[in-house]
Amino acid sequence: MIANQLALIKREVQEHRSFGLTPIAIASVLAIGTLALMVIGTGFRDVIDMVLLGASIVGEAERRAMLMGLLTLYTLVLAIAMGIVTVFYCLDCLYAERKDGSILFWRSLPVTDIETVISKLLVALLVIPAISYVAILATHVLVLLMASVWVETQGGSATHLLWNGAALLDIWAAILVIVWAVPLWLAPFIGWFLFVSAVVRRSPLLMALLPLAVLPLIGLTFQSRLLLQAIWLRPFRIPLFSADGVAAVMDRAEGDGHAELRQEMVSLVATFDVMQFIASPSLWFGLIVCGLLTAAAVYVRRYRDAP
Amino acid sequence: MPVPAVLQLQSGKVMTKLVTAQNLSKRYGTLQAVDQVSFSVEEGRILGLFGPNGAGKTTLLKALLGLTDCDGELSVLGLDPFRQRRELLNSICYIADVAVLPRWMQVSRLIDVVAATHPRFSRRYAEELLSRTAVRQDARVRELSKGMVTQLHLCLITAIDARLLILDEPTLGLDILFRKEFYGTLLAEYFDEQRTILIATHQVEEIENILTDILFIHNGRLLLDAPMESLGERYLQLVTSGDKADTARGLRPLCEREVFGKRVMTFEDIDRTRLETLGELSIPSVADLFVAKVKGAAL
Repeated sequence: MIANQLALIKREVQEHRSFGLTPIAIASVLAIGTLALMVIGTGFRDVIDMVLLGASIVGEAERRAMLMGLLTLYTLVLAIAMGIVTVFYCLDCLYAERKDGSILFWRSLPVTDIETVISKLLVALLVIPAISYVAILATHVLVLLMASVWVETQGGSATHLLWNGAALLDIWAAILVIVWAVPLWLAPFIGWFLFVSAVVRRSPLLMALLPLAVLPLIGLTFQSRLLLQAIWLRPFRIPLFSADGVAAVMDRAEGDGHAELRQEMVSLVATFDVMQFIASPSLWFGLIVCGLLTAAAVYVRRYRDAP
Repeated sequence: MPVPAVLQLQSGKVMTKLVTAQNLSKRYGTLQAVDQVSFSVEEGRILGLFGPNGAGKTTLLKALLGLTDCDGELSVLGLDPFRQRRELLNSICYIADVAVLPRWMQVSRLIDVVAATHPRFSRRYAEELLSRTAVRQDARVRELSKGMVTQLHLCLITAIDARLLILDEPTLGLDILFRKEFYGTLLAEYFDEQRTILIATHQVEEIENILTDILFIHNGRLLLDAPMESLGERYLQLVTSGDKADTARGLRPLCEREVFGKRVMTFEDIDRTRLETLGELSIPSVADLFVAKVKGAAL
């Protein structure tokens, strides 16, 4: 069973080369883009290096915020890209094998339909997040190394300006939590995409998005926006962050509502409440929906019967 | 009453029935794909399954492979194929069509997957068989010709120690050289008296000399289930002309056709002496018999 799963997962990774190529391409663009910005920023090097000057004259908190903002931006770009990869993978994985006829070969092996579909679910929930995590860390390190080389050649101190500027281990620990928490939170969507992939005869993306057009009509019919909100707003309502933790990052100014940065180093991990996330009924409800849709995908793959 | 899987013959030889089907039926909406089909396949046999397009061959094979559920009783290697599919696939192999190997995959990785998932697969033997062909292990399936894909598929399933091999049009679209090589390899490397092969194909002439049994199916119904050695006892082909043809026609042939101005008639279960004076007698080929049975069924 486990050996079969490992073999099936390995096969999925080999088949879907976008898992590796996408982060490599994006990391390359980000790294080159960052380097280009630094070079442009030192365009007045005959007079003074604007980047180094800028980095030197601002305070620790501002530099830290800048660094964390940049690293968060890289993380966000890669995470969104891998999210898109996950959507297309889920929509393709049970559809393509029917389209090219290879399902007949896969079904000639002593592997059950449950094992096959579960392997695809595990790829979406565990493997792609793992690849994403490695890709994000590698991108951070790559960009910081390139920036370090540039800063050092320009006479600045990379250790002071870059490596000590942000709590890298804390950021990476936070990303580790997020890359696995978000797919779990969005598991019902993953289950839906797998189900659509197993069922449709053509245009899986179109069919997967069809409910977006139908849901408002259901809402109008039943005079309720509950279902619509449950789907539309779910991605933004992940119960991973604690209110106290977020407040620790920002000092809310009294009165005018503006937020100001704290001067001491704050922990991103401290903003999480993992127990609250795990204990959330919405998470478990979503996982049950994912399980039901995955079971439906298994059923369709197993019992689809046509002359 | 279900047929026992193991029969003790009078000679003392134990004959194992690998496949037993009784009153097998399958309906898709208004289409009766398989209609009350009963047959059995013994160990160490090579069975040819013939039928025109839409006859129900593929549905029958799908039922044997557990890919579709049917009414009636069906046992393959003593298992219910639909409900015990995984156990069954440990001991049977099938080639559905030359196009089914995943085109994106590298040959060596395909071997890896089969080795990891099939407990009876011998990687060493597969690689040995593959080394005798032009298929490179670093090639992707999409880079191979149709014939090479078939060679690869055959190498993979030959390296599986399976008791039953099911082939559905395995050489479709291949040239004559690859087709001959395919069946040559099948006999030389796979077949022995413990193994059984079931072949569904339209290319009757090419495989009739390797078959031990034949099964004709038409419109979902079984037209013939017979061992090859019994064909000469049950069927005769008469080539005749003129008044003798009229006399022969009175003996109710299964089918009649004209070849070079002569009448060719196929008879079933008829006394040979009644035909000997009417023309030239021979045992019909499987292809001729197939045509005769299908046309006879249409009358």
